[in-house]
Amino acid sequence: MEHLFVQLLIVIMFLAAVFLHVVKKNSTAAVLYCAQSAAMATILLAASIEADSRPLLFVALATFAVKTLIAPLFFAHLIKRHQLKFSASTYLSVPLTLIAVAALTALTRSHIFAPLVALGNGREGMLSLALAMMLISLFLIVNRKGAISQMIGILSLENSIVAFAVFAGLEQAPGLQMGIMFDILVWVVVATVFTSMMYKQFGSLDVTAMQRLKE
Amino acid sequence: MIEAILSSYGFGALIASFAIGAVGALALRKSDTAANVWSNAFAVLGSAWGIVYALLAVTAVSAPEYIVDASAAFPLLSVSFHIDKLSAFFIFVISLIAFLCSIYGMGYVRHFYKKYNIGSLGFFYNFFIAGMLLVVSASNALVFLIAWEIMSVASYFLVVYERNDHRNVRAGFLYFVMTHIGTAFILLAFLVMYKFTGSFQFAAIAHNIASIPPFAASVVFVLALAGFGTKAGIIPLHIWLPDAHPAAPSHVSALMSGVMIKTGIYMMIKIFLDVFTDIPLWWGLTVLVLGAVSSLLGVLYALTEHDLKRLLAYHSIENIGIILLGVGSAMVFSSSGMLPLAALGIVAALFHTLNHATFKSLLFLSAGAVVSATHTRNIEEYGGLIKRMPQTAFFFLIGSMAISALPPFNGFFSEWLTFQALFGGILALPSAASWIFVLAVGALALTGGLALACFVKAVGAVFLARPRSEEARHAKESSFSMRTGMAFLALLALVFGVFSGSVSLTIGRVARDIGKFGAAELPFAVSPLEQISVQNGFASASAPAIAMMFIVAACIAALGLRAAYRKQKVVIGETWDCGTPPTSRAEITATAFSRSIIMIFKGILKPTKQTGIEYRDATARYFPKARTITLGISDIYRAYLYEPLQVALTKFSERVKTIQSGNINAYVLYIFVALLVLLVYVIL
Repeated sequence: MEHLFVQLLIVIMFLAAVFLHVVKKNSTAAVLYCAQSAAMATILLAASIEADSRPLLFVALATFAVKTLIAPLFFAHLIKRHQLKFSASTYLSVPLTLIAVAALTALTRSHIFAPLVALGNGREGMLSLALAMMLISLFLIVNRKGAISQMIGILSLENSIVAFAVFAGLEQAPGLQMGIMFDILVWVVVATVFTSMMYKQFGSLDVTAMQRLKE
Repeated sequence: MIEAILSSYGFGALIASFAIGAVGALALRKSDTAANVWSNAFAVLGSAWGIVYALLAVTAVSAPEYIVDASAAFPLLSVSFHIDKLSAFFIFVISLIAFLCSIYGMGYVRHFYKKYNIGSLGFFYNFFIAGMLLVVSASNALVFLIAWEIMSVASYFLVVYERNDHRNVRAGFLYFVMTHIGTAFILLAFLVMYKFTGSFQFAAIAHNIASIPPFAASVVFVLALAGFGTKAGIIPLHIWLPDAHPAAPSHVSALMSGVMIKTGIYMMIKIFLDVFTDIPLWWGLTVLVLGAVSSLLGVLYALTEHDLKRLLAYHSIENIGIILLGVGSAMVFSSSGMLPLAALGIVAALFHTLNHATFKSLLFLSAGAVVSATHTRNIEEYGGLIKRMPQTAFFFLIGSMAISALPPFNGFFSEWLTFQALFGGILALPSAASWIFVLAVGALALTGGLALACFVKAVGAVFLARPRSEEARHAKESSFSMRTGMAFLALLALVFGVFSGSVSLTIGRVARDIGKFGAAELPFAVSPLEQISVQNGFASASAPAIAMMFIVAACIAALGLRAAYRKQKVVIGETWDCGTPPTSRAEITATAFSRSIIMIFKGILKPTKQTGIEYRDATARYFPKARTITLGISDIYRAYLYEPLQVALTKFSERVKTIQSGNINAYVLYIFVALLVLLVYVIL
């Protein structure tokens, strides 16, 4: 039952990563990231209950606070402040994007990644999904031109790396995880400020506008 | 007591003296005098401690070793130092020259007061010396590289210290680029050794040296030769040296030219003869050829110079070439199994290292005194300084005699030993290799003659005849501390010459501590009267006998002249001058003096001549108002090596630049693809 519950959570995370490619509204992307992060925090919570570890519980709570509450709040503020209702365009059309996402997912299920997936030790399917999430999130950063989408892509990539670490049994010390969480918090603040400055300078959050900075 | 000095505390105190000197100078930067006294006082203190430490380490039975365990934080970085006899010898040379340069510096630095920040000069000066000491003490390649960087960066800031002169800033930039190209080669050499031996510890590398395949060993040789050769200033990697050494303050120039470039020689000996023990013959022959070329071309370029400090810088290239002749011959003998002759080559190289440090520092310090008194480095603007700066002129003359290998000064004996090592090669080696030794002997002999000609020019143009500028006319003798530093170096040039036998024997002990030379008998003996006898009487030289011969000859000449002119009256009258008063314009200039020699070597030096005429009436062009002739030489290294290299690099960079699209998505795509490729590569 518990196994099924965790499977459901990783599927939610994976689907959130896929839908991030499809959505056009920035607010929807932020909500999807919020859902993905909530699933991630729940996975960590389940792990802390299973291991009966109080430090891990703090990590789960910190994850929830930073990724599910604070980061989306920053995004909401940014969207509201600059009236950035819709995300900028993509390089590939939606059908082509979905084909690429399917190809990346298939790649993680192929024999090439078999040695990595084997680290799962009974959770191969979940590990495979976490790997697919990593590649899909990276692809989101490549394919999207909007700065907010790229920021969410980076955070989604971070979620997938944490998920991979959990399912591969590579959990780090709670102190280190708290450090990473603090790092993410600082990153979100800096990235938001930077994005605001970029908007002021270029009048758009389309990163291709920054090509003008090239010598 | 000896144990206490050689303990880790003793070594720590040595480095701490310079660190305190550096930090204190920076803290006292508001007061020029306080910063100057503090920084140089601690440099003197540290150097004096270094001299004592090195002398004890050379005579110690077991080599001191200090390890600071930092493996928990940095797994590959073992902060360890090993003071074997070779290290101790170089610590001695560095400390000795730093000691006297710092005494000189106390007086010399005064002319920077109110112009530049004395605190920063003291800071970098102390770190520079400490960096050099750490370089020759490190027993781990990573620690060595850190020390190498401290030395290089500190010396860069010293080169650009007089930053108001844009030439110094440009020289510093060239030095910075070249030194880091050299460091890149060194790093690659260490990485190749690490790949096969699994360690950055020099002792561990030497222990597992057999695991390096011959081709990889040769790659290490080429990389190390290029890396350390750049620092040593061997031709054609020397282009930074004639610009950077003159740009620095003179007591720093003395350290850079006298000592810093020797750290390259130290590492060559360490890697090629201590870490590697069985080396192929061509390694030694390559070093020998490079030494011969550097010595000959170095002195030829020095002859063409009319900038006093650049002239001395080119002589450093020449002397590095002479040292390499010793090192190269030792490598050839080592690979041929002739260990006694190899030991002779190393003794010659190390002795010349010590001697060059002594007389080159003396020459740079004297040149610094002249430059600070006249505010110019152009030889043509000096003249007649022997009357205004007699003591400085005397010290410069001693240095000139020593560098020209005139007995009884030290330069003669180390070059004589180098000759003996080369003669040994001619006698003992098969014909192909022995011909290279024949050519090396020819190059060394020619170098000696040309060096003498160059210093006849330098001494004559700087100190003799009449002043050729207002600055030279009003020059004043240098301060007491400057003269003290020069006087001790001049004395050392004589002492190391007169006691060359004892010095050679001491250096022999250092040589026998290197690699497999411990089993070698030294092929020379020294009599109680300091007579060096090489290879069972093949050749011998005695400094006291030569000195005595000079004294007796001088006495006989003086007595003879006195007897001949005793009854003759001295009549002082006017010189017949054809109606033209004899002014400084009638003197032979330094350029004219060397022009005839330059024309003999015009095939190598590629001299240039530009003439210009200014007419009284530019349209009629009948009556010339002034004629100008500009003589120079082509920089063939820039024209045929560095500029084509730069053009190729620029073209390549332009092509590579196309991947810099300015599009963030493209950059992330590169990361994405690289990540995928790496994942697939690792898994497959």
